Order: sequence, then structure tokens, then C-alpha cells
Amino acid sequence: MSMLPFFQWMESLAFSDFIRMSAWISPAVNVMHLLALVVFTGAVLIVDLRLLGQGLTERPLAQVARDAQPWLIGGFLALLVTGIPQLTTTAMKQYYSPFFWWKMEGLLLGLIFTFTLRRKVTLADEARVGPFWAKAVGLVSIAIWSGVTIGARLIGLLS
Amino acid sequence: MSLRSWFEWLDALPSSIAIRESIYGYPALLTAHVVSMCLFAGLVVMMDLRLAGIGNLKTPITQIQRRLFPWQMLGMTLNAITGAILFYGQPMRYYGNWAYWTKIALMVLAGVNALIFHRTIYRGVAAWDTDAVAPFGARLAGGLSLVLWAGVVVFGRLTAYNWFQLQ
Repeated sequence: MSMLPFFQWMESLAFSDFIRMSAWISPAVNVMHLLALVVFTGAVLIVDLRLLGQGLTERPLAQVARDAQPWLIGGFLALLVTGIPQLTTTAMKQYYSPFFWWKMEGLLLGLIFTFTLRRKVTLADEARVGPFWAKAVGLVSIAIWSGVTIGARLIGLLS
Repeated sequence: MSLRSWFEWLDALPSSIAIRESIYGYPALLTAHVVSMCLFAGLVVMMDLRLAGIGNLKTPITQIQRRLFPWQMLGMTLNAITGAILFYGQPMRYYGNWAYWTKIALMVLAGVNALIFHRTIYRGVAAWDTDAVAPFGARLAGGLSLVLWAGVVVFGRLTAYNWFQLQ
């Protein structure tokens, strides 16, 4: 089944029209999306660095992860809330951009990975996980979220 | 030589033109600028939340300061290099863009804030290293840093909108 009708529907919403008619709502939403990105990636990186044996090594991994959790979830929700209007107002551009689909696939992968495997490893007893798996999880996390960020930036530049 | 003619001279250099006209070089630089921003600003926010008494409260302040520092510096270096090349590629675009100069001014203020904090209040950190709520001066420095760096990100993004262009 094609997603095209869904994207056409998003683009035609009164909500999208309303935002497109304003000169400042889109830039404001865009700016907030970027601020949310900083909070989210900060919360991701402080834990990923710890997984790699860097950063806050004097603190137990599970505590670093628990401290970062509200900023990880809050940052993600803010990204979502500010991302939706940007998607609906430019839905057709997004639909035809390969980078949008790259970003969304990465996002799905990142969410599944972060809330299953990574969550399990960060909250587990570090001695049982061992440095190899901790490092692997940290590297995969950095790779996925970097990929999502790169794809997101390229939607506006190369499509 | 006026500032404007200096910018115009830079703008006319073949290497400057090559950067702004490259099909993939410019997007690659801008993307690298955003990714390195995440490393720098993301970890600065994690540190400032601790100082301001908002987040990461169980970690001693000195640990956050010392352990995140090399990664913040790595992010800042990559961010500064990609930023300098982006500027070099379009000097006349930035010359009359007040959002850009506001960003630069906020960056300087954020730097001054960090310097003052480290030269004064931070010297006495041993007495409040593990306190969830640090003394007022430290919370103020953390809060100011959050606001100033957020401003840098905001005006950096707004630089792309042409309504800030003065001629």
C-alpha cells in the first residue's frame, strides 16, 4: 500500500495551511526542534560515552543512565512535537526525499534499540555485561543517532 | 581598508567561491557542523543542568566538569573548524546578517561567563562538590550558560532566514 494519500492528506490539512500562512511559526518550530535535538543528543551521548568507558567513569553506568533518562525522554518528546508540524506542512517534499525515509527508518531502529537492548545493558550489572558488549551498544547508539541527524539535515539541503 | 571591503576581498577569492559553489562540499560541511554541535552543545547542556541544580544531581560537579571537558573540546574544535570554513565560503552573506552577528556576540558572552565562573566561584568547589543545589553563583553561571548557548543555536539557525539580511 502506498503512503502517498496519507502524505497528501497531511499536506492539505487546515493545520498545515495555518502554519504555512504564518511567516514566523515555521522558523520558530524549526528552532525549537534544534534545541530539543541538543538536549536529546546530550542525554544520549553522556550515556554512550560511559558505555565506551569514557566520560563519567567514576559513576555506576545505571546511575548515569537513570540521571539522563528524563532528558532523553523529554528531548525526544519535544523533537516529536516540533517535528510533526514540520512534516505536515512539507509532506510532499518529505515524501519524495530519500533522506526523509532514511531518517525515519533510522529513527524507528534507534527507538527500538534504545528502549530494548540499550536500556537493558545500561540498567544491568556492569560486571555481567562486560566491556565488549557495553562498547558495542555505545557505538551502535552513536552510529544510529548520527545517521538520523545527518539524514534530517540533508532533507533540507539535497532534496 | 573598511571591514566591508575586507569581506568583499574574501568573498572574491577562488577558494571561497569554490566552497559556496560545491554541490556536495557545502551540504557536507553544514551537516558536520550540526553533528559536532550535538557533541559540544549536548554535553555543555548536561554540565549546565548539573550546575544549575536541575539535572544529573547525583554526580559530583567536579566529575562532570573534568570528564566531559575533553569531549566538549573535541566537539567545539570540530564545530569551530566547520563553522570557519562555512563562513569563509560565504563572507558577504554573513556580513550584513544581524542574526549571525548576534550568534557570535552570544558565543563571546558564553565564553566570558565560563571564564569568570572558573576563575572565581569554581575555585571553592570542594566545599559544595556533591551538593545537589550549588551556591547561587554556580547556579547563575549554569543558568546563564544554558540561556546563552541556546541563544547561539537559535540565532545560528535564524542566520539561514533572509529576513535578517541588511544591505
